Amino acid sequence: MATKAKGKKPTFFADPQVDKLMAIVMALAGEVSVLRERLDTVERLVETKGLFARQEVETYRASESVTEEREQWRSQYIARVLRVVREELDAVERGEVTPESYEAVVQAVSS
Amino acid sequence: MIYEQTQHDMLPQASHDERARQNFVQSLKVHLATNVSPGNKAVYEKRAKPRFEREHKRAPQDRHDVRRVMKDEPYYQTWSALLRTSQEMMWDSVAASVERQLPDLIHRAKGNGKTLGSLTLDPQLVIPSYHTAVDIHCQPGAYHTETTTDDVAAGAIYDRAVHVYAMGRMGPMNDDLGASLAAYVKHQYANFHPHKILDMGCSVGHSTVPYVDTYPEADVYAVEIGAPMLRYAHARAEALGKRLHFSQQNAEHTNFADASFDLIVSHILLHETSSAAIRNIVRECHRLLKPGGMMLHVEVPQYHGMEPYDAFILDWDTYNNNEPFWGTLHDMDLVELAANGGFAKEKIIQTLIPSAFRMARSRTGLFQGGDFGGGGEWFVFGAVK
Repeated sequence: MATKAKGKKPTFFADPQVDKLMAIVMALAGEVSVLRERLDTVERLVETKGLFARQEVETYRASESVTEEREQWRSQYIARVLRVVREELDAVERGEVTPESYEAVVQAVSS
Repeated sequence: MIYEQTQHDMLPQASHDERARQNFVQSLKVHLATNVSPGNKAVYEKRAKPRFEREHKRAPQDRHDVRRVMKDEPYYQTWSALLRTSQEMMWDSVAASVERQLPDLIHRAKGNGKTLGSLTLDPQLVIPSYHTAVDIHCQPGAYHTETTTDDVAAGAIYDRAVHVYAMGRMGPMNDDLGASLAAYVKHQYANFHPHKILDMGCSVGHSTVPYVDTYPEADVYAVEIGAPMLRYAHARAEALGKRLHFSQQNAEHTNFADASFDLIVSHILLHETSSAAIRNIVRECHRLLKPGGMMLHVEVPQYHGMEPYDAFILDWDTYNNNEPFWGTLHDMDLVELAANGGFAKEKIIQTLIPSAFRMARSRTGLFQGGDFGGGGEWFVFGAVK
């Protein structure tokens, strides 16, 4: 089955790469929503089966160690999402600021 | 009112994640129509229009002027990119689900041999160029493409996707267009009792079924160019216990005899044709109608008399959603069109009718791209022979 509709796809931003990025971001947002809905189903089933009430999720208070673990996880997660920003800074710090600086390496290893 | 789609026997089943994916698209569309799209008007009034006036020493005169100046506005760009993405995600979310269960759907569509109505396919039918040039409204493969024997995929995809596209506002059976028009005819022409009815460009028969319910004594026929649509339409009608006669024909030139029908209807067919085809279709309606018979075509309102901005925002699909004839149709002189087709000018009908599902949740009260049926009214063009 074809997945792309016949017909030139319009682009809206000055740089068409931004259009592509928008589509990728929205696909990911969609999958987050799919996960959230699945979790919601799990919570409701758990309640129906009498394992615990959904309200217990709301009133759950994490212990100090759990809080610590979660903070660590969130910190790593955010760093992973913002990898590209950190790497931009790394590059500046290393002086890798122009395409020529890389091409110089290509030249250097070839000669 | 929230209208969940009726899970009739032919409608594809969605897994939990498939359903959640479709739900996301529907929510995204509601958000865009309700919270993002209307902001384009402020962007136009505060930024784009003054910029146009500075550059051209005049006000924007038509939808083309507005489009040229709005295409550079970042807000409009973002909304457009999101709307186009939502459309692609919609087809993707439904098509993947249909593909998974296609063999079962094909099996179910074959039925048990007992039928109320009928299905006549014509493998020799030439699919018109206005349906092969681009895939209309971005449905991959459009109405006509078949990838396997006895394919029903296009129809199954369309049935589910229309519900997501219209954000549930076309009712549990997606039959708003037919239900609204049938109710209008019944009320407005109480002494009109059609015996034979034809629905042109019926797709999966969403809008055809209400005529069986409104006029149970009538024989109802429906034509459509796409075989996978028709196979599904027939199976769906049988599953619903509705007697309909489907055939694969181009509405421009059908094989019915002169003066065959009392009532000929179409629902969002005209904008998916061409300048040449629409003239043929109106002429064909005139040929097929009995004297005193009526043709009625449902669309969204014409641009004539609209503010340039309003026409522009309603015109989004022409350039961005593979609806190449949408704008041309909405600029057309329909009186001239009907008169050329043989109808008397004083017997031409152009009116707005209320949606049968006006109370549906998420109505915006607006006519704008990506918000199909948001206005809660439909435009009807027609004529009495």
